[in-house]
Formats: sequence, structure tokens, C-alpha cells
Amino acid sequence: MRAQELLEALKERLGDKLRSPELEVEEIGHRRIRERGFIWAEIEREDLLEAVRALKELGPLHISVISGADVGEKIELIYHFAVGYGTPDGEVMVNLRLAVPKDDPVVPSICSELPGALTTEREKIEFLGLEFSGIPDSRKLFLPDELKAHPWRKDEPELSEYVRYTVAWEAKKDEGGEARA
Amino acid sequence: MREARLGPEEMAEKKREKTCSTCFEVPIGPVHPALKEGIRFTFWVEGEKIKKVDIRPGFMHRGIEFMGTKRNLVQLIYLAERICGICSVSHPLALVQAVEEAAGIEVPPRAQYIRVIIGELERIHSHLLWAGVAAHELGFDTLLHYVWKIREPVLDLLEDITGNRIDYAIPIYGGVRRDIPPEKYPKLKDALRYYRSLVEDLLNFFLRDPSIEARTRNIGILTREEADALCAVGPTARASGLRKDVRQDWPYFTYPDLQVRALTPEDMGLGVRGDVYDRIMVRLLEVSQSIQIIERCLEEMPDGEITSVPKVAALLAQLKKAEGEGIGRHEAPRGEVFHYIRLEADKEAPVVWKVKAPTYSNLMSWFPMFKDQEIADIPIVAASIDPCICCMDRVHIVRGEREEVVWKEELLRLSWEKTKRVASRVTRHAPWGRKG
Repeated sequence: MRAQELLEALKERLGDKLRSPELEVEEIGHRRIRERGFIWAEIEREDLLEAVRALKELGPLHISVISGADVGEKIELIYHFAVGYGTPDGEVMVNLRLAVPKDDPVVPSICSELPGALTTEREKIEFLGLEFSGIPDSRKLFLPDELKAHPWRKDEPELSEYVRYTVAWEAKKDEGGEARA
Repeated sequence: MREARLGPEEMAEKKREKTCSTCFEVPIGPVHPALKEGIRFTFWVEGEKIKKVDIRPGFMHRGIEFMGTKRNLVQLIYLAERICGICSVSHPLALVQAVEEAAGIEVPPRAQYIRVIIGELERIHSHLLWAGVAAHELGFDTLLHYVWKIREPVLDLLEDITGNRIDYAIPIYGGVRRDIPPEKYPKLKDALRYYRSLVEDLLNFFLRDPSIEARTRNIGILTREEADALCAVGPTARASGLRKDVRQDWPYFTYPDLQVRALTPEDMGLGVRGDVYDRIMVRLLEVSQSIQIIERCLEEMPDGEITSVPKVAALLAQLKKAEGEGIGRHEAPRGEVFHYIRLEADKEAPVVWKVKAPTYSNLMSWFPMFKDQEIADIPIVAASIDPCICCMDRVHIVRGEREEVVWKEELLRLSWEKTKRVASRVTRHAPWGRKG
């Protein structure tokens, strides 16, 4: 499916829930020119699952990753979906942007629709301090269990404390103290 | 009132009840036989059968994404190159695409062909490296040494073209840093001819050997539906019959001209089973495919500039003014690499940088693969997705957990013994002679 058609089909299914959709189409190749499309849109967290269901109907769905950033008052998540793999030159990147308030950092988990999203959702829990409702496994994945801070948050003093502690511990190790095995 | 504390035995009992009443818990790793990288598997086994598995990565977390936001964009390429030593061009290739998209930088056609050639040479060396590891896990060390010997010429070739065996420092925003001059073409063609002559041998050694077949057929199965639902990528997905390949599905560089097709076991005329055998097959077929791609690139590659912004100072100035976000994707030897970047004007460093390596997507595939397998099959099943942990983890403190630990030598011994056992059943010409 071409990017333009995909966007129309998405708009039809989601209506106003798909806010400020943007379409970018580029031409790639030299002898055989092919179009490649990106769709960028914003969505409310309540409508996320519905959007994932709509995307699943529109083609084989793959989630590359969820990227996230602390943008002050809110946490911004971007779900990077690839719709339509398996069709030569037919994949479209659909990027859904989600703003999550810091005082209520709960997002619905999309694992029920796309079980492969579990790794990336677990990463967001530990790095951004989010909660995913309905996630089958919310344990830490990459970070130490005792680390209470969330490294991608910009408003947490605990993390700098942890870094200071680790650096001091490493320095002791270099002096040939007990830590040096 | 203080709560009564449980003794260690009672605790262990409680833990066991939670999982499986007759199961034993066997932690393997973080240092273990399948990989030379740290990851901990916890298996719950009943007799010889694995009933449940839990995976704990994070031992190699280096905080690279955070480090990236403290560097300027040109320095970032060299950091991205060091995410993984094997996919050392895949990460920069995805990163430059993301930045070029965000900053609106054009890439001359010749540079795109050179990017493809280096990417495909990397695929050949990565797949051969993996084939050697797989042979070692199964106990065929002669094959390991043979495969790694034939992997050397491609590394020498890369050194000749780029100056380095790994970490080639080739991509830059707007093109590449070194040209492949026409006088190097004969050497490249010679190397391709050498590999073409070996592909058939490799297929014979790996796919037509009864012992390897007995050790890998119907082992570590990932069905097509599971691969689809778990968003598997790369040869892991393709071996399960999913025709999913970024080079085929998503136009980038000159791949639309080259018309790359995703390869599955069907291309060998066989049915898809999604087992370890299929994963070996797909990777060997891809070596052959990469040879074809490079040959075609050498024929079609136009003359011209290799970069649109040759001066680094000018490039940095242009990047400093850039504002926007971009996505870069590349089919690395192990699967899809994805980079997202956000640039703000007057800032040299990116504001957000997210890296997704193929193993990150393939991590979940291990769960169905290990189900109902034997302990002796752990090394080969773990290795079969060609995991790269340092790519995926990007600080971990190990506490002395004294539980039942199976040492790597023990596990490798189990795997090798199983091969011997199986080999003596399927062939009288086992590679160990016929003692006893």
C-alpha cells in the first residue's frame, strides 16, 4: 500500500483521533525510482490501542521501537511502526506521537495486540518511569534492579547521586583497594 | 511484630512452587558458552526438558545513547560505529540516514553504491563468523577453523578498501569518506569469485551433513505466526518463512535498483520449519546473495562525487543550523537496525537519539525457541538468532548468587556429547573416528 492510501485509510478508521497527520514522500533509487513514505501523527493515549488495531488491519505490522524523551512538563513517546513488510518497496513508516503527563505516567500496553512490543515497553518503564497498564511483565530489563532512578528523566536528582557513588567506587577500585579482584 | 523470615530452603521451595512444582531452576550466565557476551538465562527444567525460560540482559549496558547526546554529530558516527564490532558499519549507516533526513542533506549516487558494497561485505563476514560459532557449538571445531579461515580474505579486502578490518569509518553525512578506485575492482572481483566457489562447499558441509542435520532439524523452532507476532527481524524471521527484509520492503540507498529479495528456506526448494537448520540455510544463502549484490554494484556504479559536503567544518556548521527529526533503517546482517534522531538549531549534539539493534527485536523469539528443548541444545539455540548483546544493552552489578550454576565447559561438553551420540546413530563416519 502506498503511503497516501495508507494515510487515507487510517483517517477513515480513526477520524479526528488521528491529530495533525503529516505525510512525507521521498523518491529513492536511480534507475528504478521508488517512493518511500513516512506518516507522522499525534494521538491521545486512550486511542492508542484502537490505532494499533487499525494499523494491523492495514497490513503486516512490525514495531521497530518506541522512542521517548523528557520534554519538560511531559514525556513524549513516539511509536515507530512499519506497516506492510513483505511487499517489495511497500513498507511505510507510521510514527505516532504520544504526550504523557508526568503526574499520571500511565500508558496502555500494546502487547495484547503486538506481543513483540514487550521489550521496548519494559525499556521505557525503567528509563522514563512510565507505567504500562496491562503489560504482562514489568520487571527491569537492562538496568540494575536496585537502581531507583530513571536515566532519561531530566528532573531526578537520584541519578546524579548514583553516578557520583559509582564513580567514587570505581576510583577506589583503581587505587588497588579491596574492589580490585 | 516481626514477620517470621523464611530460611533459604523454604524460599527456594516457594520460588519453585511459583513456577513449576517438579522443575529445577538452572541459571546459565552471564558468562556462558553460546556467546562471548554477558546475558543470563534462567531455565526451569523438568528432567532434560526446558519448561520455562527467563532472560536477563543488561550486563553490557554502556549508556551509549546518553553519551551520544554529549557529542557533536560527526563524533557521533564514530560512537555509533562502536556500538557493535561486527555490525560496525550497520549502525553508522542507519545513523547517517536519520541525520540526512533531519537536516535535508543529499547523497551522491556513487556514495550510495559504496555504502551498499561495504554493508554487503560486512554481511559476508558476519554470516561466516556466525557459521563458525554454530559449528563450534555443535562440536565441529575443524569446520569452525575452516570457516574462520575463509572469513579472513573478506576482512583483508575491507582493510584494503577502507583501511580497517572492522570500524571502517566510511559513512559520513552526505556520502562516504573514501572512494573505491577502479584499480581496486579486480581485487574485489577476485574475492567475490573466491567466495562464489566456496558457497557450494559451505552448503554441503552444513546442510548435507547427517550429524548437523540431526542436531539442528526440528530444534529451536520459531513458527511463522510467532515470528510475526514477536516482531522478529532478519534471518531469524526469514528462516520462519516471513519474507521480511528492510532492503526489500523499505527503499533506501540504491537497493530499489538492485531489487533485493528476502530469502527464505523456500528459495532452496525446501519447506519452512523455522528451526536452527533453516536459520543456517538462510544465512548461507545470503552470503551468495551479497556476492551478487556487490557484483551488480560494481557494474552499475556511476562515476562522480563521493560526498555532497566534503569539508567537515562546513558540514558541522550546516548540521548546527539543522532542526528536525529523522529515521534511519538498515538491514544489518542480524536484521533491522533503527536509529531515530532529533536535532535542534544552535545545538551541536542531538537532543534525542534512540538506537534499536536487531537482537533487541529478536530477544523475544528465544522464549518459544527454548520451550521443550533439551539442556544440551541450549548453546546452539541461543546462538541461532546470532545475538549481539553489546548492541542491545547499551551498568550491571553482579551479586554473588550461589545457585546451581552450570559452567560453560560443562554445557559445551553436554552439547558435544549429544552430537557424538547423535552422530553415531546417523552416520558411521563420525568425525571422531569410531573408537569404542
